[in-house]
Amino acid sequence: MTKTLVRWIAVALVALAALAGGIYFGKYSPGESPANPLQGLTLPDVDGRDQPLDQWRGKVLVVNFWATWCDPCREEIPEFVKAQARLGDKGLQFVGIAIADQPDKIRRFSTDVGLNYPTLMGGYGALELSKLLGNRLAALPFSVVIDRQGRVVHTQLGLLKPEKLETIIGKLL
Amino acid sequence: MLWLAASTAIAAEAPLLPAEQAFRYSARALDNRTLEAVFVIADGYYLYRDKFAFAVAPDGAVLGVPELPAGKIKADQFFGNVETYRGTVVVKLPLGGAASGQSVVLTADSQGCADVGVCYPPTRQKVTLALPAAGAGPTAKVEAIPPKKRWFQ
Repeated sequence: MTKTLVRWIAVALVALAALAGGIYFGKYSPGESPANPLQGLTLPDVDGRDQPLDQWRGKVLVVNFWATWCDPCREEIPEFVKAQARLGDKGLQFVGIAIADQPDKIRRFSTDVGLNYPTLMGGYGALELSKLLGNRLAALPFSVVIDRQGRVVHTQLGLLKPEKLETIIGKLL
Repeated sequence: MLWLAASTAIAAEAPLLPAEQAFRYSARALDNRTLEAVFVIADGYYLYRDKFAFAVAPDGAVLGVPELPAGKIKADQFFGNVETYRGTVVVKLPLGGAASGQSVVLTADSQGCADVGVCYPPTRQKVTLALPAAGAGPTAKVEAIPPKKRWFQ
């Protein structure tokens, strides 16, 4: 119980700090599972439309924090595109959260790689939120695998290689 | 519990330095018209030349165009050729509107990555410099993170 309370306070403090600093990271109302700080998060897509992450609840979700200015991030995305095309029907859903990026650069990159899953715009506040999932250096790329029940089952700083991704999501799909 | 397990896995996987240690920033005043910013980049890390930005406070003090050394060209599929730095980067910054004895704060924004395949968001670091008296020669180097603090990290 105490651990839960501490985590809630941590979530609240990060959210407050980000807002106090004038950093926009969308609407945030944490859900019932403190094990997943991304629950309840709403971010705008590249066209400015609000997209709640909870709309993908029930799917196996891979949330990828990335940016066009991050070379290794761009390197791994074509593999995510392949996995989304192959396993989307089985309930796999990738969602990108682009950090401190520009919609026009994201659109250009999306066209280049044939991006087939949504990208949401995250400011530094979203990056702060990733710290709650273990991304202590706030570095990129950072990926989070969430099961159909909304539980975080894997987090990865650095490249999430296809074989590893396959192993993790194979058990969940 | 799952959350805790996941965090532990990351710590074991990627023993990375925090950005301010991977890219150690220090500066000194060469005279009251020239500042010098130095970045010492840890092995296995690099900084992007076009991501540097400098600012000086207080109001009244102004920076000229930073003299950035040439970097190493890296072909980037998306951005074309980009220049990167490794090792030590020394940047000279012309300073105007400040007087001898005055303190100025030199803010440096930088952005870089680690060879293991991780990039850091743009990092802002600051140092406060006291400008030397006329003819007194360069000031001592001031580090953004004092060495003493590093012992505990």
